Amino acid sequence: MSTATIYQVEVPQPKQHGKPGGIMRHLNFFTGLAGGVILAAVFGYLMNIQFASGAQTADFASASAGPTFWAIMVGWVVGFLGGMGAFVGPIRWMLGRDLTHDDAEFMAGKGQGKFRYWRFTTDHKVVGIQYLIMAMIILGFGGLLAMLIRTELGVTWAEVFNPDFYNSLVGTHGIAMIIAMIVVVSGPVGNFVVPIMCGARDMAFPRLNALSIWLLVCAVPPLIISLLVGGVRDGWSVYQPLNAQAGPGMIGYQTTIIVFAVSTAIASVNIMTTILTMRAKGMTWSRTPILIYGIFAAAAMGLYAFPFYQYSQILSMTDRLINTSFFNPVEGGSVWLYENLFWLLGHPEVYVILIPSTAVILELIPVFMRKPLFSYYIAIAGIVGVVGLSGLVWAHHMYMTGWAPQAGYPFMLSTELISIPVGFLVLVIIGTMWRGTFWSRLPMMAVFAVVFNKMIGGVTGIYLSDVPADQYFHGNMFVTAHFHYMLMGVALFGAMGGVAYYFPKWTGRYLDERTASIGFWLAFAGFQLTFGSMFVAGLQGQPRRVLQFDNMFNLSNWLSTIGAYTIGIAMLIFLAAIITSWRSGAPAPGNPWHAQTLDWQTPTPVPLDNFPVLPVVKGLPYDYGVPDPLAPEKVEAELQKAGTP
Amino acid sequence: MADTVTPSEPPEAPTNRPPAMHRLHEWLSRKYVRHVLIITVVIGFLLLPLCWLLLAAMNQSGAPASGIMEDIEQTVFVFTLVAIPITAFVFAVLVYSLIGWKGRSGEEPPNNDNPAIRNNTVAVVTWTVVSSVLVAFFVVWGMLELANITANSYGTQPINGQIKADDVLIVNVTGQQWVWTFEYPQYDKYSSDILYLEKDRPVLFNVTSKDVVHNFWAVELGVKIDANPGAVTQTGVTPNKEGIFNVRCAELCGLHHAYMETQIRVFGEETFDSWMRENGGGKTS
Repeated sequence: MSTATIYQVEVPQPKQHGKPGGIMRHLNFFTGLAGGVILAAVFGYLMNIQFASGAQTADFASASAGPTFWAIMVGWVVGFLGGMGAFVGPIRWMLGRDLTHDDAEFMAGKGQGKFRYWRFTTDHKVVGIQYLIMAMIILGFGGLLAMLIRTELGVTWAEVFNPDFYNSLVGTHGIAMIIAMIVVVSGPVGNFVVPIMCGARDMAFPRLNALSIWLLVCAVPPLIISLLVGGVRDGWSVYQPLNAQAGPGMIGYQTTIIVFAVSTAIASVNIMTTILTMRAKGMTWSRTPILIYGIFAAAAMGLYAFPFYQYSQILSMTDRLINTSFFNPVEGGSVWLYENLFWLLGHPEVYVILIPSTAVILELIPVFMRKPLFSYYIAIAGIVGVVGLSGLVWAHHMYMTGWAPQAGYPFMLSTELISIPVGFLVLVIIGTMWRGTFWSRLPMMAVFAVVFNKMIGGVTGIYLSDVPADQYFHGNMFVTAHFHYMLMGVALFGAMGGVAYYFPKWTGRYLDERTASIGFWLAFAGFQLTFGSMFVAGLQGQPRRVLQFDNMFNLSNWLSTIGAYTIGIAMLIFLAAIITSWRSGAPAPGNPWHAQTLDWQTPTPVPLDNFPVLPVVKGLPYDYGVPDPLAPEKVEAELQKAGTP
Repeated sequence: MADTVTPSEPPEAPTNRPPAMHRLHEWLSRKYVRHVLIITVVIGFLLLPLCWLLLAAMNQSGAPASGIMEDIEQTVFVFTLVAIPITAFVFAVLVYSLIGWKGRSGEEPPNNDNPAIRNNTVAVVTWTVVSSVLVAFFVVWGMLELANITANSYGTQPINGQIKADDVLIVNVTGQQWVWTFEYPQYDKYSSDILYLEKDRPVLFNVTSKDVVHNFWAVELGVKIDANPGAVTQTGVTPNKEGIFNVRCAELCGLHHAYMETQIRVFGEETFDSWMRENGGGKTS
């Protein structure tokens, strides 16, 4: 026997220095902007002096252009983050001044009204809305570029833009849309909804959460500015060595990717930790809503895939700036190395976009069918299967490159296998629809649109995964049409459904479904016209990324352009519905859909700490509907009673 | 106990379970099942013309001019045909959900009177088996076709099955921004920016690039391979039609990528030889 003496130790609370928040009180988006611009100017000036002793002008064609533009980019990133206050936390920590409770509440935006959206705010709900707005801004930018591309392709009798600018449009549209689509669901839903759905009070790492959104905000201007200094002329994949020929605008692209990859890694770690460790008591893995699985899967794939992309761009940057030759074949580099690194990201990234959207659809369909999700475990198996295979299929983008022709066999196998787990997800959706009367609201309409597009995108994907057929379709408009069906038809329409579903929770108001539905269905119609015609152009043999083509492609391109303008108008209508509803929509209660998941059990607007008392989960997430009168055991009992064999 | 069942004896099969065929019959006799199946068949027949329409679009610039391209078109045809039933079924469920089970609008959700179907083992197993079989079919078909095309590609084995390896026409294809150059090492290194080929004579392409990555795409011949700087990639084909066909660049290669296209002229044997004698010098190998 031993006795232990228990000492009551007073935990030392950090001392409050000055007002809560300290220097963070004075920092916001505008100081960030000023810091970025000033430091960019200083760095650019210094590098220009360093490289060119007076002879150089601001002409970006000169030899110092690359390093100067690089210095400007570094200055922007460091200055913006510094001005936002991203470094205040680490510095404070090094000085031994930890945050007090009041500091933390200030950081979470308590009592700052709408201005908290302009700050380095740690509240996950603020971050979620910031992600939503940012995604919409990038989508708008990418959409505008898409309109310009379609204008060029619709005007078949002349060149509207010079070819270099056209190529920049194509590349910038590609990468802007990829970034927007990666964050459009994972950002707002992953940050706003998932912690509440888990029954947590915030994300696991609130300050990293704020860092991830402001890194994204920081990553976008370099891409836009790069359009002014040569642009991204090489498609979003910026294959080497074409990449090396481009102007300094390419450094803008590389900066964007490197910063964005950091943002994604931070966000992924944060989301995964939150989901793994902060789910409510009683929310076992078999009671966790499917959306959480989907967001977790996307975060896991992003964490695995983005480093490849980041390396490829860092190596490209050193090739350009300090004459390394990772990818320069003249000096022993390899273009295939670049292609491998790129597509090691490139294919998982497609699922990083698709899975969250699909998970939102899976999440909302039981609510609007008033039925449980059909085969919850099959849905999980589908998501896990996609994640497992996503890292093993990258070389199907390289069938025609001449790199390892024999690799066609295993990659054809792995690629086509992925249609089994994707098929599971379709089964779950149609199984949930089976024998149910749906509640006809806009989010439910998105389910129909998404499944329709997913079948077309999925089936055309089978042709592309097949090496012989790919021998015709690779590098051809057919590919463009296919991935737009997946990324826009499934992911963006799913995201629009998700916005319609979560709008009351995000904003406290009902979405004007009349206007939004007009926008939605007009976009759907325009979408079918645009990309249906693009399939035809591809079958006829029109290569991708060309601005002029034979006359036989004219008709399909005209139709495609008409469809694209329709989408443009439709998206503006949808946006108008969002903006007007946000400002002056009818106030919505906390749970307008009568949903059963935790996110809808909080009042709207959600209080700063989400739940006054942490919830305990005692049941399944989708407990809707009545016992099935046609369940097999019941039918058998009936048959027995009737005396049939 | 006297009547204890020995462990080795198999448990008695349940006798109160209706036979599988009867359950299937019961299921098929339900109204919504019949309707979904009818709609599936209707949509399937509506989609069926796609099998030919896709090929018609592919043939718009010219009919296949090699065995490889014929294989590719056959693949597209078969894949479309196989994908139609499952696509039609999913579309039929969507359609029946809209017009059969229908929806209800309103501010409040409809009463919770939908059956809580949490799972259905038969449906899940059927779906998994069917999709696995389809995938297996696609993979096996693709691999066989790929093997077939690879065998036909390298010029050693023309479509008629006879090996004429010594008769292979070798063409060195070089892409550079933004033209194609075709060099004939067997014909005194004659070079041209138009690709001249001989009907029924296998041709081996050694493809490379002088600057950036291009993609050598002989559309009607079904040949496609990247032209990489610093590497030579090989492919081949046996044209089986005379005529004029297209070469396009299928990999973005900079400013004038769109204009990087040229012609293929496939001649008969005599015409090709005389043309080469007149323009390209004698045969050197």
